[in-house]
Amino acid sequence: MTRQRFLSSLRGIFLLTALVVVGFPLVWVTLASFKTPAQLNDPSLIFFGPSLINWTHVLEGGILQAAGRSALVAGITVIISAVAGSTAAYVISSYKAGGTVTRFGILAAQVLPPAVLVFPFLTLAYVVRVNDSLIPLIFAHLSFVLPVVTWFLIGFFDSVPKSLEEQARVDGFTRFKAFMLVVLPQVYPGLGAAIIFGFTLSWNDMFYGLILTPSKSAILPVAIAGFNTFRGVELGSMSAAILVAVVPVVIASFFIQKRLVQGISGGAVKF
Amino acid sequence: MGTVNLQGVHKAFGTTTIVEHLDLDFPDGSFTVLVGPSGCGKSTTLRMIAGLEPVTSGTILINDQDVTDCEPRDRNVAMVFQNYALYPHLTVAENIAFPLRATKAPRELALRRAGEIAESLGLAHLLKRKPKELSGGQQQRVAIGRAIIREPAVFLFDEPLSNLDAKLRVETRSELLAIQKRLGVTSIYVTHDQEEAMTLSDRMVVMKEGKIAQVGTPSEVYSKPNSVFVATFVGSPKMNILEGNLHANVFTHASGESWTVQSPHEGEILVGLRPEDVAPTPDPLGNASIEQVELLGPRAVVTMTVGGQKVVSVVDAAKMTSITPGTKAKIDFSPDVAHLFDPKTKLRIP
Repeated sequence: MTRQRFLSSLRGIFLLTALVVVGFPLVWVTLASFKTPAQLNDPSLIFFGPSLINWTHVLEGGILQAAGRSALVAGITVIISAVAGSTAAYVISSYKAGGTVTRFGILAAQVLPPAVLVFPFLTLAYVVRVNDSLIPLIFAHLSFVLPVVTWFLIGFFDSVPKSLEEQARVDGFTRFKAFMLVVLPQVYPGLGAAIIFGFTLSWNDMFYGLILTPSKSAILPVAIAGFNTFRGVELGSMSAAILVAVVPVVIASFFIQKRLVQGISGGAVKF
Repeated sequence: MGTVNLQGVHKAFGTTTIVEHLDLDFPDGSFTVLVGPSGCGKSTTLRMIAGLEPVTSGTILINDQDVTDCEPRDRNVAMVFQNYALYPHLTVAENIAFPLRATKAPRELALRRAGEIAESLGLAHLLKRKPKELSGGQQQRVAIGRAIIREPAVFLFDEPLSNLDAKLRVETRSELLAIQKRLGVTSIYVTHDQEEAMTLSDRMVVMKEGKIAQVGTPSEVYSKPNSVFVATFVGSPKMNILEGNLHANVFTHASGESWTVQSPHEGEILVGLRPEDVAPTPDPLGNASIEQVELLGPRAVVTMTVGGQKVVSVVDAAKMTSITPGTKAKIDFSPDVAHLFDPKTKLRIP
């Protein structure tokens, strides 16, 4: 009993520490976004009259347009990833396409530093004259979102009995129709999680954005970095912009956390 | 109308042969059971008929049309899987109506037809439920309903009762038989349970290692098994096989015990005896020692050893008073009940 109590208080302390480590920067950034430049000089200031000056500055400075571009890139990336990833994951799971190598090797590209891929993307973008547009960025994001979405879905498809597809084929449907009408609906929860996860990955990426869309089509993380000016860091505005970027991700994470664990542990949809 | 003909159907995975040059005809309206131990190729045969497994060589005809290379959807067959394979995201009504979606039938019509079928299967009150809210027996009936709605040429059943408990299995078995007789659709049924095969089929196909061991009506297969394999596979408890010599109609067992057996055959022989044909009579000087007595209601299974060999007998429980474990008995059987097999080929001696 005492041992149990000890363990549970230890767990409590651990969780509290984790909460402080994760939560503190968020609280600090939130406070900073409502402080005037003068108040920002005093980091210990917790109670103060909030000001919207940073928010006005940020919103007028086109942060919403940048967020819109980020959402567009993430949206297109994740739609392509969901379509290609779900079909790929299904054949890898069900037909053992590509064998074990593909099943586990699909994430191998993640090991490559993005720096290896970014210059080929940049050169290609120049050659086909789409540089500083969102197109090369979507392709760049697909290079890491698509494998992750595919890998994530393999486990979910593994848990769908093969006989469901076979039954649908005997019931009069083509293989593709059987997949669409019978197999895919079984992994909708996983697909939903994969879509949100893939969206977040794309939304958070800064490296590719910095090099492929440096100016007129800058995405949100690049726009945020723009507050680090030659006159110094505009801390208040940057904090407001960071909140614009973080809040959707925090909300999305809240909804997918359970499925995320399922996906990582190999899918656990029970029949 | 639905006939199925398998002509030299062969299936191999690499060098491993699963089904070996199978020739088999399934007449219109027949109920044929493919039975055999696991790994004998019966399920693979069924899956080849369904089109879920490509054949390595040979031809499959359904209603005299070559469907060997056709997709499952073009074969006009319906299948019931062992795990029922109900679509978890659809209701009972939608599950039953699902095959009609493939024919582009109007949704209203499909659901009405599904309702009628559900009614006939006693599922009318469950139409709006999802499969996971049903019992095993109900799921089974939904799967059958879904097979019926297509009005197929052939029903294929892949061990559809093996996930049910013993009592439900017996009930569902007779329901299934009644449905098949009512609709008159040619049915091919796979099971490893010989008792199920005996009760359901018009015709039994006993398979072993990818080949047909025997084809016949259940009573033919039971009363005239053509090999030791079929003799011991069909029937429960299984047939006793005694090894010995036959000379001038006298069979002498390896233990020295002898009985009269009518056959012109001479020399080494295997004698097969159904447990119900073996009659033990208490005798302190008898050669059989009673090992175990299991009472099964009106009957009892008596396990004995004769010359170190186990012999099982099924007797009337009423006659059991003096047969108890540890006592001795004499074994008797009538001369015409013995099944004779060649010890080398293990085939029946006529």
